Amino acid sequence: MLKLQKKKPDGLKIIVVGCGKVGSTLVEQLSREGHDLTIIDESAAIVENLSTTYDVLGLTGNGASYSLQKEAGVESADLMIAVTGSDELNLLCCTLAKKAGNCATIASIRNPDYTVERRFLRQQLGLSMIVNPDLEAATEIARLLRLPTALDINSFAKGAAELIKFRIPKGNRLHEKTVAEAAQNLQCGALFCALERGHDLSIPSGSSVLREGDQVSVLVSAKDSRSFFRSIGVPTHQVGSTMIVGGGRSSYYLARQLLEMGINVKIIEKSAKRSAELSELLPKATILNGDGTDEQLLQEEGITRTDSFVPLTGIDEENILMTLYARRVSQGKVITKLNRSSFRDVIAQLDLGSVIYPRFITAETIVAYVRALQNSIGSNIETLYKLFDDRVEAAEFFVGPGAPVNGIPLSELPLKDNLLIACINRGGKILIPGGSDCIQAEDTVIVVTTHTGFHDIRDILK
Amino acid sequence: MNIALIFYIIGRVLQIEAVFLLPSCAVALSYGEWQGWVYLGVAAAAALAGQLICMRKPKNMTFLTRDGFAAVSLSWLVLSAVGALPLRLCGDIRSYTDALFETISGFTTTGASILTDVEALSYSSLFWRSLTHWIGGMGVLVFLLAIVPMHGGTHMQLMRAESPGPSVGKLVPRVRSTAKILYLIYLGLTATEVILLLCGGMPLFDSLTLSFGTAGTGGFAPKNTSVAGYSPYLQWVITIFMIMFGVNFNIYFLLLMRRFRDVAKNDEFRSYLLIILTSVALIVWNLIRSGTAIGMAFGDTLRHSAFQVASIMTTTGFSTIDFDLWPELSKTILVLLMFIGACAGSTGGGLKVSRIVILCKNGLNELRSYVHPRSVRKLKMDGKTLDDGVSRSVGVYFFTYMLIFTVSLLILCRDGMNFSTNFTAVAATFNNIGPGLSLVGPTMNYYSYSALAKYTMMFDMLAGRLELYPMLLLFYPALWWEKGFSKKHL
Repeated sequence: MLKLQKKKPDGLKIIVVGCGKVGSTLVEQLSREGHDLTIIDESAAIVENLSTTYDVLGLTGNGASYSLQKEAGVESADLMIAVTGSDELNLLCCTLAKKAGNCATIASIRNPDYTVERRFLRQQLGLSMIVNPDLEAATEIARLLRLPTALDINSFAKGAAELIKFRIPKGNRLHEKTVAEAAQNLQCGALFCALERGHDLSIPSGSSVLREGDQVSVLVSAKDSRSFFRSIGVPTHQVGSTMIVGGGRSSYYLARQLLEMGINVKIIEKSAKRSAELSELLPKATILNGDGTDEQLLQEEGITRTDSFVPLTGIDEENILMTLYARRVSQGKVITKLNRSSFRDVIAQLDLGSVIYPRFITAETIVAYVRALQNSIGSNIETLYKLFDDRVEAAEFFVGPGAPVNGIPLSELPLKDNLLIACINRGGKILIPGGSDCIQAEDTVIVVTTHTGFHDIRDILK
Repeated sequence: MNIALIFYIIGRVLQIEAVFLLPSCAVALSYGEWQGWVYLGVAAAAALAGQLICMRKPKNMTFLTRDGFAAVSLSWLVLSAVGALPLRLCGDIRSYTDALFETISGFTTTGASILTDVEALSYSSLFWRSLTHWIGGMGVLVFLLAIVPMHGGTHMQLMRAESPGPSVGKLVPRVRSTAKILYLIYLGLTATEVILLLCGGMPLFDSLTLSFGTAGTGGFAPKNTSVAGYSPYLQWVITIFMIMFGVNFNIYFLLLMRRFRDVAKNDEFRSYLLIILTSVALIVWNLIRSGTAIGMAFGDTLRHSAFQVASIMTTTGFSTIDFDLWPELSKTILVLLMFIGACAGSTGGGLKVSRIVILCKNGLNELRSYVHPRSVRKLKMDGKTLDDGVSRSVGVYFFTYMLIFTVSLLILCRDGMNFSTNFTAVAATFNNIGPGLSLVGPTMNYYSYSALAKYTMMFDMLAGRLELYPMLLLFYPALWWEKGFSKKHL
């Protein structure tokens, strides 16, 4: 009579210290995935708010104090995640938790001084993982600048395969073609995984028709991504120059990566002191001391001619305004960083192009680690991305021996509707499957679907 | 308000009630009573109605604080309305108002009865009456949380609205596991009591019903003489278990986790034991001095005092003696204990010991501020700093409590009974105890009150059990309708 839900694998016991932007995003995602969460923060108001919204146990106080960690159950915890604003506190939290509970630990470290030594720190302090939200954001931006046509790139199979989202430009040769026709004309293996037109989102079949202005996600192997864009008539090259507004930590990390790629970098920074620091740290970059919201300055420095423009100030409103301006006056690639995650619908309608949320990127990295940790306990998800405002999931499964899908041609598997097997990774080789291919044991398989809550490869069957 | 989701929750509650009605059928079967068919019929109807309501799964899953409170109070109303049906339909109680009074008294673990002759009831009705105590003690929504998986925020809002006490403490991160642990402790303690009573030679039916009454701190007994007719051993067992069920269940969890230090630090637990010991000592002294205890062995005096104190303090309401005949001091102590009530997070009612402790500490603080006007001193509870919001809300709670008390008292006075009857009747129902003094004393009942007075007391019982605000919220217009807002998004 009382219908019980299908049994999920048991959640991990996780302690999250620090409920700022990254912390609260983590709490939301991890509690949705059914883990036993205990949160610790100095502010009683934040703890109260989170623990009434989500099914978590909230404690107020200093997360690095042993007695509080003990109260949070560190002795039986599986994982400690320290994401407060202070690097030193995070490190102390994790070191203590490691000694007290022998659990896995993840610390957020933002200071560039420590970031250089992250490997040493990780080994010496026995941390499982160090995340750096600024660095993650910078890496994501750099990846997009390498392939400016893409709106969004998610990597799978340890970077060997990429799920690329882009908008079909006006007058493109894909216009009015079916997916099957489009696929025939490609010179490389690629699979259309999701199609968004206006507000309608679908997992396309061979007979779906593509139109200009559609946003599509395509799965290709990483080395083929450029040739994919060439074959659909949108030759794509790495940008030649970048203008960055704001000289914070993520700008620094981004500039370093871009300079290594041979890209010309200009940074506009308000504070004279910080400008001097940056010029010391990044001798090859052009550092300008001025206000990025000054139209004249932007004109002078050639915003109309730059290949790409990246506003990275700490103020979301400024970033959005600068982006809107840049899109008016320039043809270049624009990437916007937003800290807060509210009003996402409105922002989606503004047509900002690529938008980066550091809190989600960092949370995703951590959640991916949590899944890997859970793998040893039962679930088989390696990576999971939420796309198109959480309406589509792209999940990477490890297929064990004896799974019911092994050795059966894909066309004969009773798959659920709105589900696509996008890619098979066989020992590092990326295979874009057709109907006659089979899944074998030891493969990892990427599945794109509008269903949610998959835990095992079995879940893809009807 | 998210009406669809509230309906869904009520549907589930109905199904749970249907399951709980079934044991009464089994009782009827073993005693060969025809009333079992009535219980079976009501159970089937409730299950069917619940199933029909739950057919439509709510799409919108946002669940706000007000939804949680409204869901809890409406669930309790539906629960009581349906629970009263079998009592009326099988003819054990002649009017629906009386049946509703009896059922609400059961679910809210009050134990106030309108029956003049309890033993005339069928066994199935007696059993159902006592089982309602057991269900209501820990809370039917906590039970729901333990078995039905629900969406994120829904849990916390329901748990907050139903569990007693100034602040809600979770035992483990997830509400569902917390609810399971609570029910396991509850079940374990109840089973232990049944076994101990059986060992003392009590018949199975009596030990079950009395254990349910003790566990929920209810007070319905299957005999007219309450617990007076049983041996001293059995009375001691019940005394000890009443005290145990009046303790915050978090204490048992801490004991199970071997965190003895935290138990010793618990202010509420210490004050609770202290109040019980002092009251027993005072009453024993008073009984001996006043001559009431003449012809009684000291052991018996002690037993009766301890039993009555435990019974009133934990808001159970059993009695082994007619304490209405006791001297004034003893009676007054008992009436005062009614207001203090049991610990927060227990199955008992009343103001709760922790609130009294906070109020006292607040009062002391106020005194100190006259001597040292600039002194800064945060209140501490269990060795931890108390949030200002909590101590403020305790003050407001106390005021609201007195307000409801006063209004109820005025309404009851219309019926023309004497003051101590009316006063203790409100105190005994509002604090979920059961027997009061004078005309509603342990050997009397609530039958002679008018229907209006009975409905007032029903409200008081529910308000007392659900900690005032869920019930009051139902009468707050903005919950249902806000001026100038479109109704579409309610």
